[in-house]
Amino acid sequence: MRRKSIGERIRLLGRAGIDVVGSLGASTVFLLRVLFGRGNVGNGFTQLLIKQLFSVGVMSLVIIVVSGLFIGMVLALQGFNILSSYGSEQAVGQMVALTLLRELGPVVTALLFAGRAGSALTAEIGNMKSTEQLSSLEMIGVDPLKYIIAPRLWAGFISLPLLTMIFCVVGIWGGAMVAVDWLGVYDGSFWANMQNSVSFEKDVLNGLIKSIVFAFVVTWIAVFQGYDCEPTSEGISRATTKTVVYASLAVLGLDFILTALMFGDF
Amino acid sequence: MQNRTLEIGVGLFLLAGLLALLLLALRVSGLTVGAGQDTYKLYANFDNLAGLTVRAKVTMAGVGIGKVTAIDLDRDTFTGRVTMELEKRVDNLPVDSTASILTAGLLGEKYIGISVGGDDQLLKDGGTIHDTQSSLVLEDLIGKFLINSVNKDSK
Amino acid sequence: MSADPAYAVELKGVSFKRGSRSIFNNVDIFIPRGKVTGIMGPSGSGKTTLLRLMGAQLRPSSGEVWVNGQNLPALSRSDLFDMRKQMGVLFQSGALFTDLDVFENVAFPLRVHTELPEDMIRDIVLMKLQAVGLRGAIELMPDELSGGMKRRVALARAIALDPQILMYDEPFVGQDPIAMGILVRLIRLLNDALGITSIVVSHDLAETASIADYLYVVGDTQVLGHGTPAELMESDNPRIRQFMKGIADGPVPFHFPAADYRDDLLGAR
Repeated sequence: MRRKSIGERIRLLGRAGIDVVGSLGASTVFLLRVLFGRGNVGNGFTQLLIKQLFSVGVMSLVIIVVSGLFIGMVLALQGFNILSSYGSEQAVGQMVALTLLRELGPVVTALLFAGRAGSALTAEIGNMKSTEQLSSLEMIGVDPLKYIIAPRLWAGFISLPLLTMIFCVVGIWGGAMVAVDWLGVYDGSFWANMQNSVSFEKDVLNGLIKSIVFAFVVTWIAVFQGYDCEPTSEGISRATTKTVVYASLAVLGLDFILTALMFGDF
Repeated sequence: MQNRTLEIGVGLFLLAGLLALLLLALRVSGLTVGAGQDTYKLYANFDNLAGLTVRAKVTMAGVGIGKVTAIDLDRDTFTGRVTMELEKRVDNLPVDSTASILTAGLLGEKYIGISVGGDDQLLKDGGTIHDTQSSLVLEDLIGKFLINSVNKDSK
Repeated sequence: MSADPAYAVELKGVSFKRGSRSIFNNVDIFIPRGKVTGIMGPSGSGKTTLLRLMGAQLRPSSGEVWVNGQNLPALSRSDLFDMRKQMGVLFQSGALFTDLDVFENVAFPLRVHTELPEDMIRDIVLMKLQAVGLRGAIELMPDELSGGMKRRVALARAIALDPQILMYDEPFVGQDPIAMGILVRLIRLLNDALGITSIVVSHDLAETASIADYLYVVGDTQVLGHGTPAELMESDNPRIRQFMKGIADGPVPFHFPAADYRDDLLGAR
């Protein structure tokens, strides 16, 4: 293979940058058409939505619950470890709760969701594209954006915040198990300290808002990559990888911005 | 049919999510229901408000009776003016009650504690608590302690 | 300008560009009504694009597309929706909806375009499946079907609304002789029995020429020639001859453009 000259490399870099901006534009147009387009949805949007809620939300429950449990337990363990050197073991409850509600809950759930449900969505839509199912729908007169994409998009918007709440509850419960039953933290002070320092508006709601933002971004990326991919098996696998990578980076980047906005004004 | 299981599954999922949210609201963050009770306003001026934030608790005898809704600088007296909203049912505070800024735990948040005086006259909506005790600043405390111990030594 | 009733589909002066690449430049194609017309050409000549233009999935950069007397690009959204009832498409891979069983797949266009009661829909689905010989597979899921069977179910779906125009996108690709025979028979049968217009896009010369009443050969952004299969076999046009007779080297060259062979072998890298 011929080695590329510096000039060529720079040109390729510029081209890549333009492609990124182009993709962003294309994905925005795509999103607007899915949400506000006037295409025919065919038969029963609610039925489709329920089906997608099941495959996107319910099927992700296992990984979310198990992860939440383990993360909560580890938080309690490590937290107890560190806090006991300051004599503040009783604060382990609020530490677990605040960490989960503000950060780990929304972020970890979103990352797991991107990996499990996001990549599945991309692969499914990409597969439909490559077997011309999307074209068939068009020819029959049903808009695939409304029939295939929209239910999946809304299922993601609804599922991820719910999954995040479940993750936090399971994590706190796991942390409570470890702290109270195993490490001997006093039951009363565990919960009392937690209740005193966890504010509904500041912590629970902010965590929920974060998860809603993440839900929007992760699902959007997942369905767009599937819709936009090269209709070959290579193209689909590349699109799946892109979904996981882009969605994860977006979640982490947005988390920083949101945290700064929400908790930055000390 | 397959549809039935699907719908039940989704329904349970939605319920679980909402239940989780409810649990987080009530058990984890201690949100009190019925927070839309009638309230009345009281003001208090402090020399030093360090650490007190809006939405901090206002308590009496350790029981929560309201919260701080605004903090401003009083330009005329150069003190910090705190606006508190207290529950209407606690409307029998004497005019010489004291408002102190206390700390929850050793390094915890600041809140306002009210202790009653003995006057016959009661505070009404829009009234001001005049007897106030400012926030304890750690450096002042240490300073006082050092001066005290120097005094003791020199005796 | 209006449509000629002798033709089911007319492309007049149609050009289509993808990006900066011109796929078609000012082509005229007239599909006679009630007959089987084949559109043939080498790979990459844009045959599938033609189908998509006829099916209003794509808009031409310029020119008119008339289907059954209606100018497609000028139709409103709801008129276009009604138009689709008159067109059926069989895609190369069958394109069955993988999460629906055979019955639901065939019933899909009926549910979208009509308000027929369930028992009528069931009757129609049974009839269509009977026509393609797969009535017994009615409860299977697409992944339980062989490739040939998938295509036949897709055909049943394409004729569910009794369209006047049927379009076949590369129907013969990768089929074993039996499946091929079945498909050929079905295409011819449907065309003659139902009086529909069939358009077959393919690069499989033997099968297409055997059933087509009329052929168009496209390539290089143009229509290279058209006529009955017999006429085209006798054609003098070198490109048509290369295609019809399967000659390895001709207007479409054997060698990919490269430097001089000797220089490459002996010269410096």
